[in-house]
Amino acid sequence: MNIIVCVKQVPEISDVRVNPETGSLVREGVASILNPFCEYALDHAVRLKNSVPDVHITAVSMGPPQAKAVLLRALELGADRGVLVSDRRFAGADTWATALTLAAAVRANQPAFDLVLVGKQAIDGDTAQVGPEMAEILGVPQIMYGVEMELMPNGKRLRVRRESETGYQVLESRLPVLVSASKGETIRRLPSFADILAARAKPMDMITADSLDLSEEQLGLQGSYTQVVKIFPPRAQKECRKLEGLTPALACGEIVSFLKQEKFI
Amino acid sequence: MHEIKSTVEKQIAFSEVTRAEGRECIQSEFLSYLSDESKLSVESCDYIFFPKNEAEVAAVVCEMSRLGIPLTVSGARTGLVGGGVPSKGALMSLERLDRVQALYFNTCAKEWRVQAQCGVSLANIKIMVANKRFSDLESSSDQKLLSALREFRLEPMEYIYPPDPTEMSASLGGTVATNASGARTYRYGPTRDWVRAIRAVLPNGEVLEIPRGKYFASTSGKFTIIDTKGQSRQLHVPDYPMPRTKNTAGFYAAPHMDLIDLFIGSEGMLGIITFIEVALCPHEHKCSLMLFADSDEQAIALVESLRSQSGLQLDMLEFFSQKAIDLLRERQTQETAALGMPPLPEQNVAAVFIELPFDPLAEDMNFARLAEAVERVGLSLDHSWAGYEPRELTRFKVFRHALPETVNHLVAERKRQYPALHKLGTDLAVPDDKLQPMWAVYRQELDRAGLQWLAFGHVGNNHLHINIIPQDPEEMSRGLEIYSSLAAQAVAFGGTVSAEHGIGKLKANFLKEMFSERDIARMKAVKHTLDPQGLLNPGNVFSS
Amino acid sequence: MLKINDNKCNACRLCEKTCPFEAIAVADGAARFNENCTLCGACVNVCPQGALSIERKQASPEELAQYKGVYVWAECEPKGKAMVPKQVVYELLTQGRLLADKLGQELVAVALGDGRMAELESLCEQGADRVLRCEHELLGTYSTDGYTNVLSAMIAGNKPTAFLYGATPNGRDLAPRIAARMRLGLTADCTGLDIDEQGQLVQTRPAFGGNIMASIVAPYSRPQTATVRPNVFSASLPDPQRPKVIKQVPVTLNKAAIRVKLVEETVLSGEEENLESAEVIVAAGMGCRQGDCLEQAGELANLLGGVLAASRPVVEAGLMPVTRQVGQSGTTVGPELYIAAGVSGAIQHLVGMSSSKRIIAINEDPEAPIFEVADLAVVGDTVKILPTLISLIKDERFRLDFSGVNR
Repeated sequence: MNIIVCVKQVPEISDVRVNPETGSLVREGVASILNPFCEYALDHAVRLKNSVPDVHITAVSMGPPQAKAVLLRALELGADRGVLVSDRRFAGADTWATALTLAAAVRANQPAFDLVLVGKQAIDGDTAQVGPEMAEILGVPQIMYGVEMELMPNGKRLRVRRESETGYQVLESRLPVLVSASKGETIRRLPSFADILAARAKPMDMITADSLDLSEEQLGLQGSYTQVVKIFPPRAQKECRKLEGLTPALACGEIVSFLKQEKFI
Repeated sequence: MHEIKSTVEKQIAFSEVTRAEGRECIQSEFLSYLSDESKLSVESCDYIFFPKNEAEVAAVVCEMSRLGIPLTVSGARTGLVGGGVPSKGALMSLERLDRVQALYFNTCAKEWRVQAQCGVSLANIKIMVANKRFSDLESSSDQKLLSALREFRLEPMEYIYPPDPTEMSASLGGTVATNASGARTYRYGPTRDWVRAIRAVLPNGEVLEIPRGKYFASTSGKFTIIDTKGQSRQLHVPDYPMPRTKNTAGFYAAPHMDLIDLFIGSEGMLGIITFIEVALCPHEHKCSLMLFADSDEQAIALVESLRSQSGLQLDMLEFFSQKAIDLLRERQTQETAALGMPPLPEQNVAAVFIELPFDPLAEDMNFARLAEAVERVGLSLDHSWAGYEPRELTRFKVFRHALPETVNHLVAERKRQYPALHKLGTDLAVPDDKLQPMWAVYRQELDRAGLQWLAFGHVGNNHLHINIIPQDPEEMSRGLEIYSSLAAQAVAFGGTVSAEHGIGKLKANFLKEMFSERDIARMKAVKHTLDPQGLLNPGNVFSS
Repeated sequence: MLKINDNKCNACRLCEKTCPFEAIAVADGAARFNENCTLCGACVNVCPQGALSIERKQASPEELAQYKGVYVWAECEPKGKAMVPKQVVYELLTQGRLLADKLGQELVAVALGDGRMAELESLCEQGADRVLRCEHELLGTYSTDGYTNVLSAMIAGNKPTAFLYGATPNGRDLAPRIAARMRLGLTADCTGLDIDEQGQLVQTRPAFGGNIMASIVAPYSRPQTATVRPNVFSASLPDPQRPKVIKQVPVTLNKAAIRVKLVEETVLSGEEENLESAEVIVAAGMGCRQGDCLEQAGELANLLGGVLAASRPVVEAGLMPVTRQVGQSGTTVGPELYIAAGVSGAIQHLVGMSSSKRIIAINEDPEAPIFEVADLAVVGDTVKILPTLISLIKDERFRLDFSGVNR
């Protein structure tokens, strides 16, 4: 079974701060990590590898050269091959241009795929669009928000349990299919040191725009349908009444007064 | 040279120093100042002073000396032996001396150095150095300083201040006074190795400025201190040999020793350190590795194999005994996400934790030496946990610290039934060749007594923390007895009764295990020369 | 206009099999399309030879001007035996009305479903000029393929200038699929929508976990599409006087087009109250981890007639189910009262609840970011405050209950 896992390198968002004067992001001291939802996708790929014979996992990432780090991480965590899709011409790509580029890379590198696994969303963009857009471009069905996956005994269909607004659903599709993962391992997996060393010996392909069946106008900013016209900091702070240094009894008295005032009790 | 002159800086009126007065007031509003991390506490004290600079510290010291009031000094109160807990009289908190004062590149030693007041926390130093942002310095008008800051920021190399005790909220001054160390001490040495200069306020209110490498004991082992009135006093350096291990028990003493080393680790007995200059070290990327062994004995064998492997450099070398892993595994069963780690391997597993230089993007990775050391004792790199990203390193750190936390939690539960109960933790270290024999002694004594115990810690320095968790007061008193005999054995092996925590108020009897009456008298003589009234940090180190 | 490159076409017939409208077939060794073609784009994506294309980029102002109308997908949900529009649709129509008025164009709601669809007149009362009712047995349950095929055809046929979806789980499944099929710009999770001087839809959304806001436009493609989370906009009061225009739209859909089957559905029991519609929410953060603090947060929620929610770390620690998670990767809420107990207020959490009307935050850390959005900030130990608060409220209730008796 040929599985593709798309992974993205993202900043550790909880560490990101905004410069209040310029409104721009302060990236100093912010580590780059494997997007948590992409890690969930990889978790599912590895689970399938452990339960089904003959599974090959290719981790694909579109990004700057530094994104190699998350591919190495994917290899440490169980992927068999890494593919870095990197080119200056990809800069400024919106989700459409990204999906187009990734789909083209998949077609070029692993055209005979059975399953594409992606994370629900990237924690920097939060759009959750690249997965479904890729699925459409590749012409495969999609199942979003997967929490559990199972290959059917005939090896041709995948069953996915996913969260719905009111509970759970189990969906089934023929392969190939694209599935986005919203949950993976509760405790993030840890490779052994041997796994870390072995990852460096696994194949890592570098793909530039030249290997892709796309024209220049389809890449990067040029190939994007949406454009950012303005960036600004979120709204200003609101009026706040702060209670500090009070005993619980006094503090709660104030809370109850507030609730009464606002007619909640 | 062995002569040094103390000075008097700007003089501040004592009345200007912020303070709290009155036993009741202090007890109700400043309760947290009356105890430290050892949980030793007092009901109250008469004064708490909050000086904001060295001159105010000196003013308080002078006034207390004039009135004959004992004075205890505290920093962040993270100590484990009650050093910062007032025994009587007054307490002085140095928390307001919290500014970093300079950063510069020392061209002779070819190292970056930071100068700071004693109250700056290690955590803040860590953040400032890692981010290369020193908010205290950036508003300065000193051009040289600003240009040093710029140069530091532009340098591609990253830096760290190596000493890493578990509690990073500790004050720099506190760590110097106790010669603190942590897991990284295995490679980088204790605090002592990184202190380049200090300023100390003496019990007479005058100040000594001591850079390393300037003042050395005379051939006859003496230092002479001359005060501003021209009066001179002589310190006789004790002549006992120091243990062949990491050590924080008793004063540093060696022939031709540097005066700065007398103050470092002196637990505030000789003077109050107000200013410190420390060196920074270039930072390398690391990998954390937890190696699992099938038994305590195999883990110890692994330690010796790693230690003796040529060409293998480790930053940290730590140990988790089988019983320690069992306790952690139990905690995982109750609360899966508690430790942030995957399930620990089943039954009868001990672990060795190492941290070593590792560049994730290096083209050629050669860890053959490590593999050799591991395979030599029948273990494998497959049976390990590893991680090198900053958040993975933090994950391992959280996991390691979870052990003492879990022990404390367990003790707190038992305390509900027996309020006087507390855990017994040892801080013994022995020389390298005595690691195995000492482990055998631990096993024998503790298993025989049938007490609940576990071991963990800086095995690379042969410094294991043995935690005895008593079920009831009877077990606790038996534990204390065993503890004494273990300490005696460590000393007999050429080791120390306190490798890291210091003596403070809680381990004064252990000092007697390690040093003869004569040697203790020598130490007391040094103390007496500088503090004839015995008012500074009474109750610390020497039991009355 | 669908373009077919005869040289590239190898007559493999994949387009024939994929087309939902039987609008393309291979004849004389190459593909040919007929008048059924809706320009939905499904065949273009599936052709392995790249022989098919639809020119969509670089639309001229004349071409852009051909697109008119603000359309809203009226997603429906079960209500008893019927399927009625979700609350978010009313919120979208309210905002959509403002946009349509600025453009001087119509606001249209598009509902897909089977015979159970009901209450669509309320969409007109909420501001829609027309409701397009697309009924088909196969649309009774949401499916990506079914809904994508029908809506793409609808969009291709009606040429709206803007199309809005609620950023519900289905909305986030559908919108990007349609955007990819029809080569449209899509902006997810908008918190602001407006029309600029050029008549473009300006879409504002948070990025980098909410640390910054970005304003986005789609200059080359029509319709401009966007998703909006529930509880970001408020629904205005409906106007029963508005004319009700509901048009039945014929739908062609065949079973084979729907590639994903729903095998099993579990609706969690009623105790899982709906966070999105709750008026009062008590959110428990990691500060509630100790002892029975979590239960007390639940008790507080009950006392105030509200629902218990959780921050992401609490859910990740396995202490509460993910259905209770508030935040950018959880649910967005906008209740009348939000009490954050022991929540630090990481930016992803704030994004999920900052439109709450009144916010009380309790946290030990005086610098906790949650205080930035709070109306009342209480610096203290959640573990001590919750039980005290619960008993004070009970006392207050007791007094209020009996105050009448004493008179």
